Amino acid sequence: MSTSTVKSDYLLLFRGNVWDRGLSPAQLQKVVSDWMAWFERLKREGKCLDGNPLEEEGKVVSGKQGRTVADGPFAESKEAIGGYFYLQVADENEAIEIARQCPGLEYGSVVEVRPVADTCSIKQRAEEYSQGQLAGTMA
Amino acid sequence: MLLFRGQHWDRGLSPHELKATLDKLTAWFEGLNERGKVKASQPLGAQGRIISGANGGLVVDGPFAESKEAVGGYLVLQAVGLKEAVEIARSMPTLKYGLTVEVRPILGECPTFARHAEVIERAKDQLWAAAAA
Repeated sequence: MSTSTVKSDYLLLFRGNVWDRGLSPAQLQKVVSDWMAWFERLKREGKCLDGNPLEEEGKVVSGKQGRTVADGPFAESKEAIGGYFYLQVADENEAIEIARQCPGLEYGSVVEVRPVADTCSIKQRAEEYSQGQLAGTMA
Repeated sequence: MLLFRGQHWDRGLSPHELKATLDKLTAWFEGLNERGKVKASQPLGAQGRIISGANGGLVVDGPFAESKEAVGGYLVLQAVGLKEAVEIARSMPTLKYGLTVEVRPILGECPTFARHAEVIERAKDQLWAAAAA
């Protein structure tokens, strides 16, 4: 067992927002109470710092100066993000273990586990460029 | 919540363009922050896992880093309506390089749960009863 006290942050993204369709009232009641109990437990244990559902309808902004504003994502999508948990855990394994406890999984919900980064990867690439350039000028 | 989609918008930019864009991006973010609009914001690491199946039986690497859909980071806006959130999204300096911003209102109540309000009430009662026992 690790005695490390260093914590890592992970985001769980819950994908699919129509998995409840076709569930019987009894199944639905079970999955809902399991989900709430799961969230409350993780908060109590200090492993989940925040969590929120997202409204199904939103907007997707793209193009130069954001000139394209479309409705989206499609509510009926299996890929659409329905909500998230912000986790603070020991490592990726613990984040995966928690994700595997998601009560929606058996009904087709999908959980994406993503590490929260300190620095944006693009910024990092830019820094590498400029260091490379610097090294070039010094050579 | 703003979800930034597409992780490789910087490909093909010269180092000079990239630096200029990142400076603009930093200024954009600082501006929002100073105006008290930012509640939380983080980039996400490119490598992650996708969990699915009963008891999370299926664990695969993902999302594909090359995907234009992959979420590269997020920004939670503070006390902002959808219209203002869209305006903020439209002012993001990296849109012209192909990045997409998804704007999603954060809810107090899960919409899946809200579709079944009675069931939720019963589930809550059960939960409180269990907690009290």
